[in-house]
Amino acid sequence: MTTETTSLELTVKSGFSAKNLAIWLGSVGIWFLPLIWIDPSTYMVLTVAGVAMGMLLFLAASGLTLIFGLMDVLNLAHGAFFAWGAYVGFSILNRLNALGWVETGTFSQCLVSVLLALLVSLLVGVVLGFFMERIIIRNVYGDHLKQILITMGALTVMVEILIIFWGPNDEVVLVPAAFQGSYDVFDVIINKFRVFAIFIGVAIFVAMQLVLKRTKLGIIVRGGVENPDIVRAMGYNIHSIFTGVFTVGAALAALGGTMWGIFKEQIYPGMGQENLIFALIIVIIGGFGSVTGSFLGAIMVGLAFNYVAFLLPKLALGVNILIMAIILLIRPAGLMGQE
Amino acid sequence: MGNKMTQELTPVQQERLQEQQTRYTQPAFLMQLGFVGILALTPLVIPSFRVMDVVAKIMIFTVVVASYDLLLGYTGIFSLAHGMFFGIGAYSVGLIIHHSGAPHWYHLILAILVAVGLSVALSLVITFFSLRVKAIFFAMMTLALAEFADILAVTWYDLTLAEDGVSFSLPGIFNVNWSVGKFLAADINGRLMTYYLILIIAVLLFVGILRFVRSPVGRVLKSIRDNEQRSVALGFKTLRYQVLSTVFSSAIASFAGILFAMWLRFVNPTSVLSINPLMLSILLMLIIGGMGTLYGAIIGAAFIMIIETWLPELQKLGVALFPNLEFAQRLVGRWELYFGILFILVVFFFPKGFVGTARNIIAQRKMVSSESK
Repeated sequence: MTTETTSLELTVKSGFSAKNLAIWLGSVGIWFLPLIWIDPSTYMVLTVAGVAMGMLLFLAASGLTLIFGLMDVLNLAHGAFFAWGAYVGFSILNRLNALGWVETGTFSQCLVSVLLALLVSLLVGVVLGFFMERIIIRNVYGDHLKQILITMGALTVMVEILIIFWGPNDEVVLVPAAFQGSYDVFDVIINKFRVFAIFIGVAIFVAMQLVLKRTKLGIIVRGGVENPDIVRAMGYNIHSIFTGVFTVGAALAALGGTMWGIFKEQIYPGMGQENLIFALIIVIIGGFGSVTGSFLGAIMVGLAFNYVAFLLPKLALGVNILIMAIILLIRPAGLMGQE
Repeated sequence: MGNKMTQELTPVQQERLQEQQTRYTQPAFLMQLGFVGILALTPLVIPSFRVMDVVAKIMIFTVVVASYDLLLGYTGIFSLAHGMFFGIGAYSVGLIIHHSGAPHWYHLILAILVAVGLSVALSLVITFFSLRVKAIFFAMMTLALAEFADILAVTWYDLTLAEDGVSFSLPGIFNVNWSVGKFLAADINGRLMTYYLILIIAVLLFVGILRFVRSPVGRVLKSIRDNEQRSVALGFKTLRYQVLSTVFSSAIASFAGILFAMWLRFVNPTSVLSINPLMLSILLMLIIGGMGTLYGAIIGAAFIMIIETWLPELQKLGVALFPNLEFAQRLVGRWELYFGILFILVVFFFPKGFVGTARNIIAQRKMVSSESK
């Protein structure tokens, strides 16, 4: 009896590790492939840019993946939260600039103004997400077709309202003085704001992991992703948890939008839809419901986008669709998804 | 002899035989014929270009929506790349004629071959990648792909001229300069010829879709939509049928795209490739008309096309009402906003559409009358 179990364990383990090793080696190795065409210092610049972009996309994708994993809702309106966050952050920075805090401020003033912009857009995201879930999403649980249709409609409406407030044109976002310019590390030029973006992204990833893995709320949410009925049977109000997760997801997307606006120094109403595509690709790559999966997926997408955008600009989005297709072929449920 | 034959047939075959025998004498057929006749007479009787424009677009979009209905309503596959196939058709005409100088007949044939070939190949690849996995993956993957196609068309300026769009002229009797005089209220010119070409091809394609869903293959598709496991248990290779439906409907969509480009003589990403407004409009047409009804496509396309033609007038109204308030102008003039609100309301409160709701009411009446007997 015992020998049987051990042999079974052994086969499972060895099969697991051999396959895993090959996948890991392949997936790490492939990121050095661009070095054939790109010289090392440019490669490093692109890598930092890619990771920073990945971090910001992760902010949008993490909410999407949790909402899908927990509530089985595909929220195409997620891109609208992103765009709203960007526009709110833009307005806050403009207001603070009138006080002289942004383009001419000291380091602490700059930091405060960025944090303030992030905070306000976070709050706007909370409000939008809360009402969106209560008014619209709640009525379409369990019906994918209706969800996709309704959230597409909601995306249009929210973007149109945004255009009514801010106008349909591109706007230039002010970058606080302390985040302008770049560091020079051994001839590798690293934009200051990219470092800040990576810092924020990693901080939020760590915070999410801590909440999900170490707190009771996190256990309930993870349990809900696995099996909502059991969570409900244990006496928890799954609907308020749904609202909470949706709200947090919307707030994170809004936060990501603000960061994205400062990162790209430019915003436009269609930015939400465009980044929604990245977020969807990341969620599919990472596996529905997995925060770690979408973290890895986001970095992959950010890196691939930047390398290919440098080499063949037109195919930058295409390469991500290619990555998605390859990963779906190898693992139909995504990197970290459950079969 | 006929009696002996029918006895050996299965009930379904009997029904089909009966339908085939009475097909051309039923009132429904005469009504369809009359409807086509009205479409043919419209430009001769009403001398307004705007009316002809709207009717031509309604015919084209009826075909697009019907082919989308085949996919979503009859097979249960939720693709968001249907607009992309439409765009492939439109761009293949536009680019081939634009980049080769003077228009020739063989350009049109080449465009049809390229468009249908490309969409068949692409839809095969898409189905290969995503029909085996979760149904919702299909929606997400096709959305990503459609967005990619749109972005490619916007950024590849050398080929597509981006948002400026590609203008081109058509060969022979479809050329704008071709004209032979007047008949009734209409000039017999290239426009009118294009209108009739669209009418003929749209009717053929629509009848083709109708025949397809009523064929034995169409019945299998419906059974897959309603209960996939049961169809598998009955011995049907469901994947094969789903692939067939996807390929067929995307080929028709690209054909409709060719017609659309020929009508406008102009293509740009927003009008033929975008998710919003193009794909959203197709979806809304389908839902308003009624999913899984095919004839709903006509009503849905007509409803939305008429709204889309007149809603932008709101812009002028806004400027007239609030000459100095940009905010108020935008509030009145952003017709896409009202379009989105309409979309949400329809999905919430009118999910069966006109034809679906009408059929429900008729079915209920029949139930009531049979019970009272």
